[in-house]
Amino acid sequence: MSRKNLIGLLPIAAVLLIPLLTQNPYLLHMFILSLLWIVLGQSWNLLGGYTGQISYGHAAFFGVGAYTTGIMVKSGQSPSTAWWGLLFGGLMAALVAAFIGWVCFRLRGSYFSLSVLALSEVLRLVAVNWNRLTNGAEGILFIPAFTQKTYYYYIVFALAAVNLGVIRWVMRSKPGYYFLAIREDQDCAESLGIDTTKYKLLSLLISAFFTGAAGAFYMNYMGFIDPGIVFSIADISIMMILVTMLGGAATKWGPAVGAILFILVSEIFRVWVGSGHLLFFGVLIIAIIIYFPNGIVGTLVDRRTRKRRLRGAEAVA
Amino acid sequence: MAKPRFMQLVTLALLVGGMSASLLLAQGKTFKVGVPLPLTGAEAKFGEMEKQAYEMAVNEINAKGGVKGTNLVLDIQDSGGKPETATAIVEKFITIDKYPIVVGEYSSQCSYAVAGVAEKYKVPYLVVTGAADKITQQGWKNVYRLNPPASLYNMGVFSFFENVAKPKTIAILYENTDFGTSTSKAMKEYCDAHGVNVVLFEGYQAGGVDFKPILQKVKSLRPDVVYMVSYLMDASLLMRQSKELDINPQIFIGGGAGHTLPEFLQNAAEASEYCMSATLWTPQAKYPGAKEFFDNFKKKFDKEPDYHGAEAYAAAYVLADTLKRAKSFTADDIRTALSETNMMTAFGPVKFVSWGKFTNQNRMDTLVLQVINKKFETVWPKEGASAKYVFPAPHWRDRK
Repeated sequence: MSRKNLIGLLPIAAVLLIPLLTQNPYLLHMFILSLLWIVLGQSWNLLGGYTGQISYGHAAFFGVGAYTTGIMVKSGQSPSTAWWGLLFGGLMAALVAAFIGWVCFRLRGSYFSLSVLALSEVLRLVAVNWNRLTNGAEGILFIPAFTQKTYYYYIVFALAAVNLGVIRWVMRSKPGYYFLAIREDQDCAESLGIDTTKYKLLSLLISAFFTGAAGAFYMNYMGFIDPGIVFSIADISIMMILVTMLGGAATKWGPAVGAILFILVSEIFRVWVGSGHLLFFGVLIIAIIIYFPNGIVGTLVDRRTRKRRLRGAEAVA
Repeated sequence: MAKPRFMQLVTLALLVGGMSASLLLAQGKTFKVGVPLPLTGAEAKFGEMEKQAYEMAVNEINAKGGVKGTNLVLDIQDSGGKPETATAIVEKFITIDKYPIVVGEYSSQCSYAVAGVAEKYKVPYLVVTGAADKITQQGWKNVYRLNPPASLYNMGVFSFFENVAKPKTIAILYENTDFGTSTSKAMKEYCDAHGVNVVLFEGYQAGGVDFKPILQKVKSLRPDVVYMVSYLMDASLLMRQSKELDINPQIFIGGGAGHTLPEFLQNAAEASEYCMSATLWTPQAKYPGAKEFFDNFKKKFDKEPDYHGAEAYAAAYVLADTLKRAKSFTADDIRTALSETNMMTAFGPVKFVSWGKFTNQNRMDTLVLQVINKKFETVWPKEGASAKYVFPAPHWRDRK
């Protein structure tokens, strides 16, 4: 392992130590939500950032994961079965993704984006109306398994770490390069013999799996879901895009920075500024968009490479 | 290398930020109460009204010397109507600010999320508007509810049915939300048990604008009563489109929420005339202080409060009364005092009882109002009525 990699592990180690420093449930709650959003941002980033397939409806996968877990508990009557939701919720989300991807990735351009948006709305309506299965608009509730937040913290931390690891691994192996090729120029990628439908689908499956697992975690952690919460376009689908875009799409740490910005920084604004906090947070977001057009991490990386290039040019001259 | 260092800095800054937030505790001879409310987002209108009502009540209480010489201070925080945020706020109230009681929230979802947190830390929580039955059906010992549960919103309507309307058929339309579903379910159960034939039981999408397909169905079925559980816009549109389609049941009845807001009168205009609605409270209700609250609120904020405002206003008084009786300002003593509450408020009598599946639930009569001459009048029960009900409502074409 190179020195650079070791330094990359430092923030992870720091995050791992947080529960040893504070047991305060409020702080842990904010960190748990941040980690959850890191998972969601990273998952969206794989498909939207690296593969270039913009999804406006990732809430579909989040909701399917959450509902799979909720329904498992409802029929099993034991909260401990809920943890299996992390696996089965993810798998169910991937199954739904396989269907929509298989149909839509044959098409080009915005068709995929729009179909996923439609899918998430259709699923929300199904959840509202299929009373026997989902308990309709009243939602599903159960008493969470643990009262200690530390457990949840480490579970969601593990989820985020696995998610990051899998995405790093995929991006360094062949499919990862295919993803980038598809994003840059789909025709070109096809002429090189890449089965673009297949690899777009692969990217979607991984992304949907982790989004579903995050949904399952949400169900476990909050103990209550209803269709309006988990299939929300604004609070889930669009938030995932914002988290990734403002942090820096197609960068390693972008979604993490975005998640921290939207969860922790917005909470700090809420506590310190009080009423009108959305106004000030909005100004901050606008400033970021102006000064970091490629997202915070994306723009920093761009600046560094440009500097390096300039230095290289000087050396040659 | 700049990347990880930047990340560390961010993490560190946030940690320090979060910690110092905990030092923001104000000291003095005051008693602080945590109140989460939706001040932004779709429910902001209700949150705003409740905030004004809480503040009005607390100002009155403090002006009269507060509680045992201690001034009440409200720490109202914006949840945006999101359960995660409401949870975060209350975790902070309880674990960092150490408030021994939590009051408020608007929607059922958020109230339920807050109730879960309060129960976990054994801190009493007074639910003020969240209506879904399940909130007080968990057997939780720290959750007290001031407002009646959704399934009882219709008590007044039921008694009106039995004594006056005696309908044979009913069409039930409801907004597909937690509140809409559980209120209409209760209505359907009542009708099934009392021999009223439910000819249509249909949910519609919240936020819809075209109700003509569903109303055509209603028209062809010719029910005696059309019962609707709606929010503001859909309530207005349902009435206007019913008028356009010339649907003439004996009476239109709303299940509270949208049908009781002053904006309903403006939006539905003449189509709202003679429409009835279940309601928890009206300014004409014969409770001491009800009319004063209504008048003062209207004078101060230049708008009319509905039952949500009255609930919040009454909640502050319940809080003051509880604190007065509590042996000390600790969660345990406050809980004991809260459970012994037995008082009259501008919103009605408040006493927390347990029956059936419910625990610590206030039980009160609900009323029926009717729009008569473009004004909300209380028409049922008879004892508290401000005007005589108009039943059956005249057909649209027979009206001027």
